[in-house]
Amino acid sequence: MKKIMAMLLALVMVFALGTSAFAADEITLDVIICQYSPGTQDWFLGTGMDGSNFVDKFEAENPGIKLNLEVVSWNDVYTVADTRIADGKLDILNIDVFANYANEGLLEPVSQYCPEDLYNDFFPSFIANSVIDDTVWAVPDLASARALWYNVDMFDEMGIEPPTTWAELEDVSQTILDFYDGEVYPWGIDMTTDEGQAAFAYYTWGNGGGFIDEDGNWALNSDANVEAIEYAISLVNNGYTNPNPATQTRYDLEDMFAAGDMAMVIAPNDMPTYCAGKDSTVNLASAPIPANEGMTGSGVGVMDRVMAFKDESLSEEETAARDEAIGKFLEFFYRPENYVGWVSMEGFLPAVNSAVAALVESDPSFEAWLSVLDTSKFYPTALGEWDAVKQGVIKAEQNALTGADVRAELDALQADIVAQAEAAK
Amino acid sequence: MNRTLQKKIKPYIWLLPSIILMAVFVIFPILIVFRLAFSEVSKAGIVGGFVGFKNFRDAIGLPAFKTVMLNTFYWVISVVGLSTVFGFIIAMVLNQKFHGRKIARAILVLPWATSLVIQASVWNYIIKYEYGNLNNVLLNLGIIKEAINWRSSYQIEFIWECGVGIFVTIPFVTFCVLSGLQSIDSTLYEAADIDGASYWDKLWRITVPLVKPSLTVSTVLNIIYVFNSFPIVYTMTKGAPANKTDTLVTYLYMLNYYNRQKGPATALSVIGFLVLCICAGIYMVGVMRKEEDL
Repeated sequence: MKKIMAMLLALVMVFALGTSAFAADEITLDVIICQYSPGTQDWFLGTGMDGSNFVDKFEAENPGIKLNLEVVSWNDVYTVADTRIADGKLDILNIDVFANYANEGLLEPVSQYCPEDLYNDFFPSFIANSVIDDTVWAVPDLASARALWYNVDMFDEMGIEPPTTWAELEDVSQTILDFYDGEVYPWGIDMTTDEGQAAFAYYTWGNGGGFIDEDGNWALNSDANVEAIEYAISLVNNGYTNPNPATQTRYDLEDMFAAGDMAMVIAPNDMPTYCAGKDSTVNLASAPIPANEGMTGSGVGVMDRVMAFKDESLSEEETAARDEAIGKFLEFFYRPENYVGWVSMEGFLPAVNSAVAALVESDPSFEAWLSVLDTSKFYPTALGEWDAVKQGVIKAEQNALTGADVRAELDALQADIVAQAEAAK
Repeated sequence: MNRTLQKKIKPYIWLLPSIILMAVFVIFPILIVFRLAFSEVSKAGIVGGFVGFKNFRDAIGLPAFKTVMLNTFYWVISVVGLSTVFGFIIAMVLNQKFHGRKIARAILVLPWATSLVIQASVWNYIIKYEYGNLNNVLLNLGIIKEAINWRSSYQIEFIWECGVGIFVTIPFVTFCVLSGLQSIDSTLYEAADIDGASYWDKLWRITVPLVKPSLTVSTVLNIIYVFNSFPIVYTMTKGAPANKTDTLVTYLYMLNYYNRQKGPATALSVIGFLVLCICAGIYMVGVMRKEEDL
C-alpha cells in the first residue's frame, strides 16, 4: 500500500513539474478594455467578431500567449485598474488618462513594445498627445469628434439656421422658446461630474481661452475663460437650457434630443447611431460649435489610449518576451481586418492611417469627421495635473450654477493647480 | 485533559468559526484602513511610507469637509428622527385590529425589501421635470397648470434625498415598534381603563415606556445604517452640485474613486468609523447600565 502511495505521489509531482514547465513557456497578459457599447463585450469575448471573438482568434494565432481580458464599464474602470495595479496584475490598459500612471513610473515607454510599422501608422497628432518628457507612454485606440447637432425639422418649421456665434445662439434659443411655448429646450448643457470638463472646453475654446496658454502652462483663470463660463451660466439662468445641468449628463441630453424635447446639443459624431438605437424619428444634422463673435470655433476631439504597465518582478529575458507579446497584441488589434470592424461597430473614428480607406468606403461621412478631427483641440491629458484640473473646472461650474463668482472660483482653482504643479517639480 | 478544562475551552471552540469570520471580514479590513489612513497612498493606490496625521489634516482641510459633515448631521438626524416618529405612528395603527391589516403590513415591507438603488432611481423618475410621474399626475388632476421643477435648487434636492431616506427607513422602525407593542400585556390597558386613564395617559405611561427598548434598538441600528447609507444620495445627485448634497460616505467614495485622493479618503472613513463607535459605545453603556439596574 505504501509503495502505491509513493508512486502516486511521485506521479503527481512529475505532473506538477511538467505543468509548471509548460506554464513557464506561456505568457499570460492581463488586459482591461473599456466598455464603449454593449457590443464591446461581445466583440472581445463573445461572438461579435464574425461568429468568434478577439481573444479566441488572438490565442489561436499566438499559441504561446494567453489573454486574461476583461471588459469593464467606464464607471468602474478606474477602480478596477487601480486595484489591479496595486496587486501587480495588469499588463495592458485601455483608458482615457495616462499622465498619472506615467508620472508614478508605472508605465513602459511605447518604444519598448510597439512594432515600428504599427507606430508609424498612428496619426502623429494623436501620438503627440501622449508624450511626457519626450517619451511616448501610450498609443491611441480611437477618437471622437464633437459637433453641434440640431433638429432639422424644428429649424425648418421655424425658418431659422443653426447658430454660428454666441449672440446668434441666444437669439435662436429665444426663438425656439417662443415658438414652442417653452415645450422644447433650445440648448443642452452637461456640467456633471461625468463630462463637465467638456462644457468648459466648448465655451472657453470658443472664446480664445482654454485650459493652457500658448506656452503649455495652466491658464484656467484667463479673462477669456471667465467670460466664457459666465456666458454658459447665463444660458442656464435665462432658461435656454435643460434645468439641472449639474445632474443631467450628456446621455440625458442626448435622450432628450432623440425624443424631440431638445433642439440643439453638442455630442459626438456617433449621434445618428445613438438616436437610431433609441428608435428616434428626429431628423438631425451637424454644424460647427458656435463661438464668440470674432473668434474661430474649434472642434473638440476626445481620444482614448492603450498603455502597458511595467512588471518589476520579471527578469530581463522575461521582460523582452512579455514586450514582444504586447507588441503582438497591438499588431493583431490594429490589423485592418480586425480594427476596422471594431471602430465601425463602436461608431468612433480611427487612430491609424491604414483603417481610413476601408472606413470611408463603408461610410463616406467618416471623411468629413476625420477632417473635423484634424483641426480639433484635445484635452491637455499629458499634463500630470489634468485629473485635478478636470475635477476642478467641473466644481467651479457647479459652484457658479449655485451663484458663486466665476472669477473667484477659477482664481482659486488656478492657484491650487499651479501649487500642485510646483510641488510635482 | 480534565473535565473542568474541557468545560472551559468548549464555548471558545464553538465561538471559533464566528471569531475567524469576524477577523477575516471585519477586523482585518478595519486594520488595513487604519494602516492606509496613516500611510502615503498614490493616485494609483500604491501604498508608501508612514505619514502620521497628514491624511487627516488634508481631509479636514478640504473645502467641502464642513459642508459634508453638516449634511451628514442633517441627513442622520432628519432620517432617523422623522422615520422614528412616523414608524411609531404607523406601528400604533397596525397594532389595531382592522380589516386588511395583514395586507397593510405586507405592503409596508415593500419599500424596505426593495433595493435602495431601485428606490432612488424610481424617485428620480417620479420627480423628474420632463417626464416625471408627479408632474403628470398633478397636471392631469388639474392641481397645477405648468410642470414644476422639483429639483430647482440643491437644498430642495437634498430635502428629496432625506425624504426618500425616511420613506425607506419607516418600515424597519415600524416592525421594531410593532414587535414591542405586541409584547405588551393587554391586562395593563384593562387595568388602566378601570382606573379611568385617558388615551394619552395610556400612551405615555404604558405604551411608550414598554416600547422604549425596541425603539432604542431601532434608533441605534438606524443611526449606523443611515450614517453609512450610500445608494440614495449617490443615485439621486452624486453629491452635485460641487459636493453640496454629499454625505460623508458618498463624499469619501468620490474622493477615493473620482478625485483619487486615497489617503484623505481613508482618513475620512476612519473618522466616520470613530463617530459610529462613539454612538455604539453610548448605546452599549446605556444597555449595560440598565442590565445592572435590573
